[in-house]
Amino acid sequence: MTKLIVRRVFWTIPVLLLVILLTFVMMRQISGNPFRRSERAIPAEIQANLEAQYGLDDPWYIQYLRYVKGVATFDLGPSLVLRNQTVNDIVRDHFPKSLELGALAFLFAIVFGIPLGVIAALKANSWLDYFTMFFSNVGFAVPSFLVATLLIYFFSLEWDLGFPTSGWSTWQSKVLPVIALGLGPMAYFARLVRGTMLETLQADYIRTARAKGLRWRRVVGVHVLRNSLIPVVTAAGPLLGFLITGSFVIEQIFAIPGIGRYYVTAVTARDYSVVMGLTVLLSVIIIFANLVVDILYGFLDPRTRDVRT
Amino acid sequence: MSTSAREHEVLAPRPTIEPGASGDAGAPIQQTNLWKDAWYRYIRNRGAFVAGVVFGMLVLYCFIYPLLSPYDPDKVDFSLSNQSPSLEHLLGTDRFGRDLLTRTALGGQISIGIGFAATLVILLVGVTYGSISGFVGGHLDNGMMRFLDALYGLPYLPFAIITLAIFGTVNFWTMVIALSIATWFTTARIVRGQIITLKENDYVRAAKALGARWYRVLARHLLPNTLGVLIIAIFLELPGVILGEAFLSFIGLGISPPDASWGAMASDGRVVYRTYPYQIIIPSVAIATLVMCANFIADGLRDAFDPRTRET
Amino acid sequence: MALLDVVDLKTHFFTRDGVVRAVDGVSFTVEPGRTLGIVGESGSGKSVTALSIMGLIPKPPAKIVEGKVLFEGRDLTTLSERQLEDVRGRQISMIFQDPMTSLNPTLTIGTQIVETVRRHFDVSKAQARKRAVELLEEVQIPNAAGRLDDYPHRYSGGMRQRVMIAIALSCNPKLLIADEPTTALDVTVQAQVLDLLEDLRAQHEMAMIIITHDMGVVAEAADDIVVMYAGQIVEQAPVLELFDHPEHPYTEALLAALPQLEGHGIREGRLTAIPGRPPDLIAPPPACRFAPRCPYANDRDGCATHPPELRELRTGHWVRSQHPASERTRAGAGVPA
Repeated sequence: MTKLIVRRVFWTIPVLLLVILLTFVMMRQISGNPFRRSERAIPAEIQANLEAQYGLDDPWYIQYLRYVKGVATFDLGPSLVLRNQTVNDIVRDHFPKSLELGALAFLFAIVFGIPLGVIAALKANSWLDYFTMFFSNVGFAVPSFLVATLLIYFFSLEWDLGFPTSGWSTWQSKVLPVIALGLGPMAYFARLVRGTMLETLQADYIRTARAKGLRWRRVVGVHVLRNSLIPVVTAAGPLLGFLITGSFVIEQIFAIPGIGRYYVTAVTARDYSVVMGLTVLLSVIIIFANLVVDILYGFLDPRTRDVRT
Repeated sequence: MSTSAREHEVLAPRPTIEPGASGDAGAPIQQTNLWKDAWYRYIRNRGAFVAGVVFGMLVLYCFIYPLLSPYDPDKVDFSLSNQSPSLEHLLGTDRFGRDLLTRTALGGQISIGIGFAATLVILLVGVTYGSISGFVGGHLDNGMMRFLDALYGLPYLPFAIITLAIFGTVNFWTMVIALSIATWFTTARIVRGQIITLKENDYVRAAKALGARWYRVLARHLLPNTLGVLIIAIFLELPGVILGEAFLSFIGLGISPPDASWGAMASDGRVVYRTYPYQIIIPSVAIATLVMCANFIADGLRDAFDPRTRET
Repeated sequence: MALLDVVDLKTHFFTRDGVVRAVDGVSFTVEPGRTLGIVGESGSGKSVTALSIMGLIPKPPAKIVEGKVLFEGRDLTTLSERQLEDVRGRQISMIFQDPMTSLNPTLTIGTQIVETVRRHFDVSKAQARKRAVELLEEVQIPNAAGRLDDYPHRYSGGMRQRVMIAIALSCNPKLLIADEPTTALDVTVQAQVLDLLEDLRAQHEMAMIIITHDMGVVAEAADDIVVMYAGQIVEQAPVLELFDHPEHPYTEALLAALPQLEGHGIREGRLTAIPGRPPDLIAPPPACRFAPRCPYANDRDGCATHPPELRELRTGHWVRSQHPASERTRAGAGVPA
């Protein structure tokens, strides 16, 4: 088992390097990127400073290696627009909020989505099933900016319930954005769980479990759930990508100063080091999350433990 | 289970009661081919059927209505601005006085167009990558899959944004490329999985044993059976791409006004959502409808091709 | 009193295409300590019969519309789900066809045996585990104690089937229903499993129902045989009587379809098969269901208009046909044995 973990962790490194390389290469393709040449009206000494600092005269692979070293030591370089701030500063200021938003939305999705899916599967084809599935289909399809806008409209404007619609400070201010971001994933989980449970319920070993006279509660709780939740864990990884994507929009709408919002600002301001740094950061998060999911999957499904990765 | 006439002579007198003689009672169970069967099953799935119809109608509306509409979608006329839905303007007008029924259709052309084009690109890349990987197998397959694993680490939206930045401009085709570049992996995986499964299939082995060349095997046996999976893949990828375009346009990095796409229209509409909420609701509902229909269609297709459903 | 008495059981499936009459009026009894074999091709209703006895038919589309299943005098069809849960595994056990999928892949073998024992008996986990090891040894799993905590994928198909048997016997049921227990296994393993079943059955003094499409299996294992076709019983007799004097044309055809290794003209002949296909159970033939495929069916005897009743031709030998072998007068019209 530990062998599995070590192997997976080991493979993360080349993946990480590859992703950074890809990001690096792509960033350099953007014209006007001062990593290639200067196009902006920056005073000469600062330009010279930048070049010295970044070694812009060095061949690209040297620059790449230097960047990788930077990433490894958590030094993502200075911001190109905000002269006295480094990318690290920006991350430090904005990232925790995005992380919190993402984590809360994920929790929301799990806490509400999974039970919904379980109930729908157990009462398949009843009006409850149709209703929850319709609701979750809608929740999944409706773009989060609409959900956000509607939430704001109803909860703040029509009925003033004291849920602020901007900023990220009191717990009340977190409710609406979390729901707006988490509704889609919640619906996705509900559908997924329902699907896997229905499939599992048809399985031969469930028939065996019933034939043994086990109480239905145990059959569902132990046999069905265990096998149904495995695909859910697998889905959790890519879902993270969705949360990141969604956060861009949600942070914009709710004026939350997170990195999603800042990313857009940085792109428009052509602050390439920030863009690069944030992209790498997001990649790292995704890769890390996938790693965790893989390891978790190994724990849950005993069959994988004996198979070589 | 049928026997030849000769066996009848040898073994037993011919049965004198033919199947189907007494109406259809006692007739043996019918068999049909895969496609007819799948189509029939799909039609009978009410949700999928309705979804298919709605989807079709939406697409038709988007591409045909602008040709019929009496209004010019780009003409700015502030005297008509911000009118709620009425008889003259079934969906109302936006803050520039443009008729929304026409504009939504136009936006739909862009959004749906980008959606399908990007999906096609995803399919092309995915099929090529997946079939090479699956068909060749061995170390190449291993390497290609590892590479794919790495690519999964790329965050979708940021990479789309970076791609657009590389292109410099945002137009239909750059959006298509940007939206497909970071998301073709799943399709590649699915195709590879399918090819590998089929490769192991006995009838493929039989073909090879008979000396069939690899391209014949690929073309005649593997790809046609992958077709079903591909059709489903289209409707699975479509929602992601459409939402991606919507998000990008909404945050201002995609299609921007005065060009219309549903995401851009939603962004426009957001400006006045407090007083004229319909302006953001309409394009969002359009997006949601398309995505929902695509989901139902994908589900329906999946059930139609592989009917391990709840029925006996 | 008979251990199990099935009376006119009718199980129908209510589907979108119509009502599938999978089991349509089946009656038989099983005495304590005896083995009943139920034979028939796919779709004959034999598995559904077994599942109906256990109450394991999928309730939304399926329903027992008529009939009684009397186990020790108690009608199982009237019991609630909770009451049935007490019967299953404890009084009546069942093993299924495919050992590869019949065990939960994410739980250890030990867990799956222990949970059964602890469900029906008030014992500690340690005691249950001890019992589990005993059971595995009884079904001849080598190194039972060491393998208790293995997962199913570590076991071969034959071994898994033995585990299934061990689980089924764990609570000393009075009746064991084996649904195609050897179909998914290699021929050599088949023989072992059948022998094992018979030994255990004798030791535990159980009654058994074996369901199969394989006449060879049933000749080995059963005391009495019931032949099913299209949801109905078409012949019923003790095993030797059935094989020596088959009456129903379908039974004769089944026996004739067995590949022969000896006998004259065998090398030149072809494998015999029964012409036609089993009927659609949504709209079965209105009268005799075998008529479309029967070599003796004709209009004069009302084969297409009057459903034949199950009648006792000889003591203990029942047939549902207008043309049982002993009543045929046409010369040379028999199917070669």
